[in-house]
Amino acid sequence: MRPFQLAITASFDAVGGIWGKYFALVGVRQENELLRRRVLDLERQLVHLAEVEQTDQRLEQLLDFRSGLEGDAQAAVIVARDPLPWFGTVTINKGEADGIRKNMAVLAASGVVGQTIATSQHSARVLLITDHNSGIDAVVQRSRARGIVEGALDGRCVMKYLKRGEDVEVDDRIVTSGLDGIFPKGISIGTVTHVTRGNRGLMQLADVQPSVALDRVEEVLVVAAGAHMKGDALMSCAGPAERCQQGTP
Amino acid sequence: MRGVVVFGVLAMIALLLQTSVLPRASIGRATPDLLLIMSVYLGLHQHSVPGAIGAFALGYLQDTFSGSIAGLNAFAMCVVFALVYLTSRRLWVDNAISKIVVVFLAAMVKTAVILALIVTFTASDGWAALTVSTSMLQAVLTALMSPFIFAVLNRSLQPVEEEED
Repeated sequence: MRPFQLAITASFDAVGGIWGKYFALVGVRQENELLRRRVLDLERQLVHLAEVEQTDQRLEQLLDFRSGLEGDAQAAVIVARDPLPWFGTVTINKGEADGIRKNMAVLAASGVVGQTIATSQHSARVLLITDHNSGIDAVVQRSRARGIVEGALDGRCVMKYLKRGEDVEVDDRIVTSGLDGIFPKGISIGTVTHVTRGNRGLMQLADVQPSVALDRVEEVLVVAAGAHMKGDALMSCAGPAERCQQGTP
Repeated sequence: MRGVVVFGVLAMIALLLQTSVLPRASIGRATPDLLLIMSVYLGLHQHSVPGAIGAFALGYLQDTFSGSIAGLNAFAMCVVFALVYLTSRRLWVDNAISKIVVVFLAAMVKTAVILALIVTFTASDGWAALTVSTSMLQAVLTALMSPFIFAVLNRSLQPVEEEED
């Protein structure tokens, strides 16, 4: 009997094995599909969460900056950029309906972005400081030397009308003077990267690297005329250039 | 008439891409000029007054959404249209390579016209550096995008034109 018992047991084991290892795999395949979809879904959620986290950080910086500012200010998002590389304008998602008017200062957490030049009901166009039509009354923070920061066609800024005898050095921070009636006083424009003093002439030129990475900035603050920095906020940026953030949106 | 509407819709889509999507993928400051490719298409295929008006409208559309002086791009697009039209009357511009070359040259002409006007009327600095680097890159990117845009325009406009004929 024993050989028959062994044969029957072995054949039942084999059938059970086939059932367990093959037919049950049909379910595993479906489960695998389901798990793959779940992994994709989780990866998508992860990317979304990382994006939300980064946006949170940027908005927190903007909020910090806003709290140091006295006066009306509106947060806005950049929705479009200039179609051509030799003009520096962007479009924001706030317009006249939100109280945005022409010639309002547009700032980011790390400094000046530009000013509004045209408005419609629900959007406004902003002239960036790197556009060749832009000009801002500015001072060298350390020596208080005055000049005008203008944009150039190649996307950089130049500080012009600096008297030849004025004290300007590389790494000096350039801030708004507040005298143009658009920008609050003491907002960072950029840092001096090069100073040109010719053999002749009454003036010197300073190349300025903008504090804000204008090609990456996404959220901005539109500030009404008459707004100004609170005393403590102004002092927090009054040290050497490295103390304020460089090249961040 | 339907062709004008289809072309207008495609121009709006191109402008949307050029102002919102393509700047995210730009190299340096250069982004492909999709409306210029459409203007070259008009110069190659629409040898008539509506073609010239279309090129002007494309340029004016770009002016509307740009920080430029109104009419600057409109003028440059008209110059490009005229040059492409004159070229296509004398040279056989029908294969993909020749079209890419024409778009590249058209981009360079447009840049030259715009920069000449800016420097003449606004006395801006830094134009030489921009001409060498950004403009060249802009022309290359625009030329590389042209086969795709031409294919979309052909596919969208040819059936409409055949129906109207």
